[in-house]
Amino acid sequence: METVPQNNEPPSTPPVERLAYSIQEAADMLGVNYFSVYRLIQRGKLKPCRALRGKLLVPRTELVKLLTTE
Amino acid sequence: MSNPFEHRRPTELEDKAHAKAVRHFSEHLKQFPANRAAVERLERDADKITLAANQAASKPTPKENIVQADDGAQWHKSVDLMENIHFCHRPISCGAEYAVVEHFPARGMNEIWNRGWNAGEVLKSFTQGQRQALQVWTEDLTAQVKEFLVEKFPGQDLSRVADAFIYKCTTQAVSQKHELTQHHEQKHSRGVRI
Repeated sequence: METVPQNNEPPSTPPVERLAYSIQEAADMLGVNYFSVYRLIQRGKLKPCRALRGKLLVPRTELVKLLTTE
Repeated sequence: MSNPFEHRRPTELEDKAHAKAVRHFSEHLKQFPANRAAVERLERDADKITLAANQAASKPTPKENIVQADDGAQWHKSVDLMENIHFCHRPISCGAEYAVVEHFPARGMNEIWNRGWNAGEVLKSFTQGQRQALQVWTEDLTAQVKEFLVEKFPGQDLSRVADAFIYKCTTQAVSQKHELTQHHEQKHSRGVRI
């Protein structure tokens, strides 16, 4: 008789999708250097938001829009 | 902006915090001076670049230097301005039109930054944009460093450390190693060099 293996791990929750990324993360995702991301912001191609102390964050929607807009 | 540690030596805690920030933001410390130097080079060599672009516009362009940009037109690369950014021209009925075109690898597209009939004006406008982008970078890095220091050293006033770090980042010369790497990359990239 076969036994069903016991799974003792807690039920996994689906990964939470991030709403925004730091400049470094955005640069990594786009495959460009930091300056390219700041240039995209300066040109208005990426619209950042600001965290509590003024640090720039790039919303996920902005990255997706940049990569899909023709 | 002056270095706040020049007027009064850092305390032991400030020294420790500064060293920690330098380690954490090492990539910024490497990339910022290199890009600032590239912008300064553009400003310094503006006349030479303009001349090279004008001369290139009067000569035939090798096929491999012709790219299609997001406006659907074909542009002729004449001068490499920065990594993936080229000064281009295209023949029009009354002469040439100039543009700064950036190749954007993630989208596999060539995007036009700015364009016009006067090469000097197009370059000037592009360079001003680069200066503004460096300013955006400086302001963001200042905020990042302050946040880092508050998180790592809660309750301490380390404003001098943040100021000293930004001073270091925005004024230090490009490391020789990084400059050599850039020079090597430029030598091996396509396009007309001045």
